[in-house]
Amino acid sequence: MSTDTLSTLDGLEADVRAALRREILRLADTKRILGIRFSDWLLGAPSIETGIAASSMAQDEWGHARLLYAMLKDFGEDPVTIEHDREPSAYANAPALDLEFEDWAEFVAAMVVVDGALTARLEGFQDGRYETARTRLSKMLGEEEFHRDMGLAWLRRLANGSPEARKRIADAVTKMLPSTLAWMAPDDAPTAVLAGAGLGDTAADTLARFRAVYAGPFGAIGVEIPEAPVSLTAWDAERGRGEGMPDEEAIERARGDRNRMLFVE
Amino acid sequence: MKESVYDVFARKERGEPLTHIGYVDALDAEMARVYAWKTYDEQNWFEMCVVARSAIIPVNRADGPFAGAALGSLVGRQEG
Repeated sequence: MSTDTLSTLDGLEADVRAALRREILRLADTKRILGIRFSDWLLGAPSIETGIAASSMAQDEWGHARLLYAMLKDFGEDPVTIEHDREPSAYANAPALDLEFEDWAEFVAAMVVVDGALTARLEGFQDGRYETARTRLSKMLGEEEFHRDMGLAWLRRLANGSPEARKRIADAVTKMLPSTLAWMAPDDAPTAVLAGAGLGDTAADTLARFRAVYAGPFGAIGVEIPEAPVSLTAWDAERGRGEGMPDEEAIERARGDRNRMLFVE
Repeated sequence: MKESVYDVFARKERGEPLTHIGYVDALDAEMARVYAWKTYDEQNWFEMCVVARSAIIPVNRADGPFAGAALGSLVGRQEG
């Protein structure tokens, strides 16, 4: 494996190229849908400060998604087409975001499980050879430190709250964890190819990053993070996620369908 | 658990004095620092800090905007 920085994709083997493209889409789509789910709680959060933070995080996620989609220019692709012309079945987001959150506990669970998984995966991406990732992800990961702190603070709050609050956050984390871990650290060929080319973590390394931050806090609510990568029986290797897709309304919002006639680029 | 007031101070440049720019209500210091950053991050701050209002000790007046529990406890200690 070369340890040189990868500044151009010219001459990259087809399987490595496909794995890199899949990785970018998985990250970008998850951030785009996470931003939508966060934005649903600008109003209705438990306090004004929390609603403002949710709003700010939604903006962060959309900005991050835009930056990640822009990496597809390296593949000679038009990011606008990717962002605005795909069907829900093409989205490679973490499956825990396919439906809107049922309650605030699910919002908190998404902050620690899904956003935490995104960050663990992005850290490995930044540490790899892909120059675009090495140079563009620093600010993003800096902003994510506040998302992590907010998620952990809220996790503690619910864990130390009423028995009902503790049960709801434990249930929400338990619900999101398996599909998100499978999404975060796919135990499949493209992930191995990507890691073998020095462009990202192995599944085990990503899981180790995630466990280093969340094993303790999740243990406090009685949820264990598996020590080995999680595999799903229904796995979509093309998208790098479990079966299913985000709901149509979320994708209409992501694409801006309602005001498409006013679209200016 | 009850929320407390945390005052937010910031400066744009290293040599500038910290300025009071607002406050947030939060359950603990960790949440206060996240709320402060997410609420007041429109500007490119060099430094931002939060201080529990209850930890601020007024010096020359008891009816100032930061007069809180700390003054009472201080006075109580002095009198005791």
